[in-house]
Amino acid sequence: MANFILRKAEPKDVSDILRLIKELAKFEEMEDQVILTEKDLLEDGFGDHPFYHCILAEVPKQQQSADGHVIIGFAMYYFTYDPWIGKLLYLEDFYVMKEFRGFGIGSEILKKLSQTAVRTRCSSMHFIVAEWNKSSIEFYKRRGASDLSLEEGWRLFKIDKQNLTANTNKKR
Amino acid sequence: MRFTICAAKPEDCKDIARMIMELAVYEKMPDQVKISHKELERDGFGPNPFYQCLVAEVPEEHKSKDGHTKVGYALFFYTYSTWKGRTVYMEDLYVMPEYRGKGMGKALIATVAKVAKEQHCVRLQFSVLDWNKPSLDFYLSKGAEDLTAKEGWHFLRFHGIALDNLAQEAP
Repeated sequence: MANFILRKAEPKDVSDILRLIKELAKFEEMEDQVILTEKDLLEDGFGDHPFYHCILAEVPKQQQSADGHVIIGFAMYYFTYDPWIGKLLYLEDFYVMKEFRGFGIGSEILKKLSQTAVRTRCSSMHFIVAEWNKSSIEFYKRRGASDLSLEEGWRLFKIDKQNLTANTNKKR
Repeated sequence: MRFTICAAKPEDCKDIARMIMELAVYEKMPDQVKISHKELERDGFGPNPFYQCLVAEVPEEHKSKDGHTKVGYALFFYTYSTWKGRTVYMEDLYVMPEYRGKGMGKALIATVAKVAKEQHCVRLQFSVLDWNKPSLDFYLSKGAEDLTAKEGWHFLRFHGIALDNLAQEAP
């Protein structure tokens, strides 16, 4: 089985995108953290100022998944900025359904993303991977990715909504 | 000491570029800075800005030894979490050493938080080098969590030749 196409996501795809987001979150053992809805995805991806871009992998109907889906993989990305080198492409999510792995779909998605990055003058493509996710880390390293957390010591931090509010309200 | 925090204007790009280099020197990576104020102007102030920037300014009577009144900045952009929706990523936060300890860093990050909330963002993310203890302490005191320690996230990238090779890779 090698029949698939890659295409840009459209508003009608938000239900499939959310389904795949939840499947990936389940794999990362954080399914209960997904609070995004189809409405959010529609507004945020297809409004006047898209916050993200999405590529989808689609198979013909005769090769649909066990659950009857033809959208079987996706990559969500957006553009960020590095004050040292300029525009970057940031890969937020990248997932192919388990039953469709091993057919080169993931590699083809990654190739498409890197072509987009080069075409839009991005110097680099960045993303994060959980350190226990050895198979993904190997997949990326085989293709030339470097681990900046190990090589340069970068650590990822967050300040969540509650603390953002606390910071906004603090007097000078 | 009095100071203001304002949205950056195109004419601030030379000062921002100067401070970007100062921060890169502090982070021990000055040779990695490849862009100048020209790219900053093009990429931050065109019809499709790739970043937002705040500048901390002091009055003329408090200008620096080198004669600068723009003494700190925060550079950030909007990102997206497939779990939570709109988020902000703060790429750089910097105050010149002679102006630290006067609340400017705190005011800069609070203003980024304010802008984030106005745009319905649910989270602010950023990264810190593991040896940078003063910055680590500053952020932890503001309620930040180290996701690399807590959840094991590592930053990866495809850069330069690796990116080009990937783009050309046969299926």
